[in-house]
Amino acid sequence: MYPVSSQKRSWTFANESQLASFRVEQNTKYIEQHEAEARANNCEVDDYFLTPAEERLLLKRYEIHLADFCGRFDPPMPKCVVGTAFHYFKRFYLNNTPMDYHPKEILATCVFVACKIEEFNVSINQFVNNIKGDRNKATDIVLSNELLLIGQLNFYLTIHNPFRPIEGFIIDIKTRSNMQNPERLRPHIDSFIDATFYTDACLLHTPSQIGLAAVLHAASKEQENLDSYVTELLFVAARDKLPALIDAVRKIRIMVKQYQPPDRDQVKAIEKKLDRCRNQANNPVSELYKERLRRLYTDEDDIPADDASFHIADVSSDTSAMNISQ
Amino acid sequence: MDDQACPRCKTTKYRNPSLKLMVNVCGHTLCESCVDLLFLKGSGACPECMVPLRRNNFRVQLFEDPMVEKEVDIRRRILRDYNKREEDFASLDEYNDYLEEIENIVYNLCNNIEIIETNKRIEAYKRDNREVIQRNKTRVGREEYALEEMLELERIQEEARKKELEDLDLVHKKKKAHDKQALIEELMYSGKDAAQIVTEFAEKAEKQRLEEKNLPPPKPANEFSTGIKFGQTADHTLLSVPKSEEGPLFVYEPLLAFSEGPGVPPISDIESKGYISHIRPETLQENAGGFTSSLACQRALQEAFQCLFYTAPSVGTSTVI
Repeated sequence: MYPVSSQKRSWTFANESQLASFRVEQNTKYIEQHEAEARANNCEVDDYFLTPAEERLLLKRYEIHLADFCGRFDPPMPKCVVGTAFHYFKRFYLNNTPMDYHPKEILATCVFVACKIEEFNVSINQFVNNIKGDRNKATDIVLSNELLLIGQLNFYLTIHNPFRPIEGFIIDIKTRSNMQNPERLRPHIDSFIDATFYTDACLLHTPSQIGLAAVLHAASKEQENLDSYVTELLFVAARDKLPALIDAVRKIRIMVKQYQPPDRDQVKAIEKKLDRCRNQANNPVSELYKERLRRLYTDEDDIPADDASFHIADVSSDTSAMNISQ
Repeated sequence: MDDQACPRCKTTKYRNPSLKLMVNVCGHTLCESCVDLLFLKGSGACPECMVPLRRNNFRVQLFEDPMVEKEVDIRRRILRDYNKREEDFASLDEYNDYLEEIENIVYNLCNNIEIIETNKRIEAYKRDNREVIQRNKTRVGREEYALEEMLELERIQEEARKKELEDLDLVHKKKKAHDKQALIEELMYSGKDAAQIVTEFAEKAEKQRLEEKNLPPPKPANEFSTGIKFGQTADHTLLSVPKSEEGPLFVYEPLLAFSEGPGVPPISDIESKGYISHIRPETLQENAGGFTSSLACQRALQEAFQCLFYTAPSVGTSTVI
């Protein structure tokens, strides 16, 4: 029941500027905390850290990686896992900045948690087989980030995806409207939904609105007109609510239309910048991270630090483990 | 008494006060030391009738006549199998016939009449009634258990009574001592005539004794000394049905779906208006679990319609950047 869900209560926002304000806030907070690093490297603050705009570009790039990763996943995963993973990824970076947690690590963790939540049963070994690079290290990263992610999602893990509403609309259209062969809408609907994943639509609109937008978009692509279905069948009892819905559908379609994939070269530059300014305490190849982990373990188990051997410590530092993108 | 003697070594009770006569299934006696001597290996033959015996089966002779011992032994053995009870028979006559048959068998075995024939009869009976025998055996066990429980109860009651008496006694003694003290003090300090005081006190004591006799209210007995209850004859083998505390009755309140969208057709419409034809029918397994395709259909429609009217709340914070 979406109307009483945590998704509606806590994770559906008023407008895009509200989302932007969260992101900027995270960015400034990080910069304030790590300002000393920039000075130590004799850099201007603006040159050293990512700007909010750069963060957005980077995350957009990684959203594409996320879709690719899910598309190439073996065994093939159902659509709802992809949708849920996207939700998690977007929610996570509302309250965190990519400088703190590298998106490539969070990305894999999001997909892993989504598999579990959507009851798509893969073991961690099966899962990391889809990741290029060092699998032991990937396992470590995914598992150690899992709890962090769930905590950052505020333990709200149920996601309402637009897929079931779409099924409902198709059943309803088949039953009540006189449209010929509604099944031919499906490819357009699927491509539209895939496109909404790259936008913030799922943080601003309800799944049923997104679903209806997809159906209407597909109908217009097929040179069909479903306006009469919406006005005379769906909203016949509540004409006054119609403008709000039309507005929502329009906004969703504009969002999808206006989406532009980030420029590769630009993102490469940003990634280079990120390698310098990212939080070293969360970088699995950094000395700081190893040190922190070692302390964590020795505190817990009372093992002398030099005796402890970890997966992560074994890995040579120059191989990048999570080579999802290339 | 003094003619109790071991038939083998001729020791008598007179010569050996600690003489213990033992008896085995054949009904011939032997003294304890002879049993030790003869049955060193655990088994052997009776020196009188040459019947093979086991040492374990020797037990202390309780009755003077060893033939009685033999009968007791045989009866016990027979009754282990012939353990039917009156409830197992349709009529009293049948039960009496059955009892007579037992007596016949016991008599035959005791007096060595038609032993083989009788044993055959026992075997046949055992074969025919194996189930009943087994069942009654366990029933007997239960009865014994109940008896034990009753004994325990009786013991506790006995103790309580004893304690009560002791307490009463103690109170009496204290009172007596107190009275005595009062009398002495009265004699010492009052100016009255000593003889008068003594008679006064004696009268008082007499009166008290009379009162006490009337005092202890006899508890209304509700059972015999054997523990069998009378009066309120509630069958004590059955527990009374416990009365459960009943709270306020559950009142069903229909769930009000908060949907913020167009109304969803009810299940009846889904089936009659053709929604159902656009969804695959449930498999047999799904139906066994209680799922029907109309439920799935309704859920899809519900999710499609709910929150279609949703508009973003106008939040003041949204403008703050």
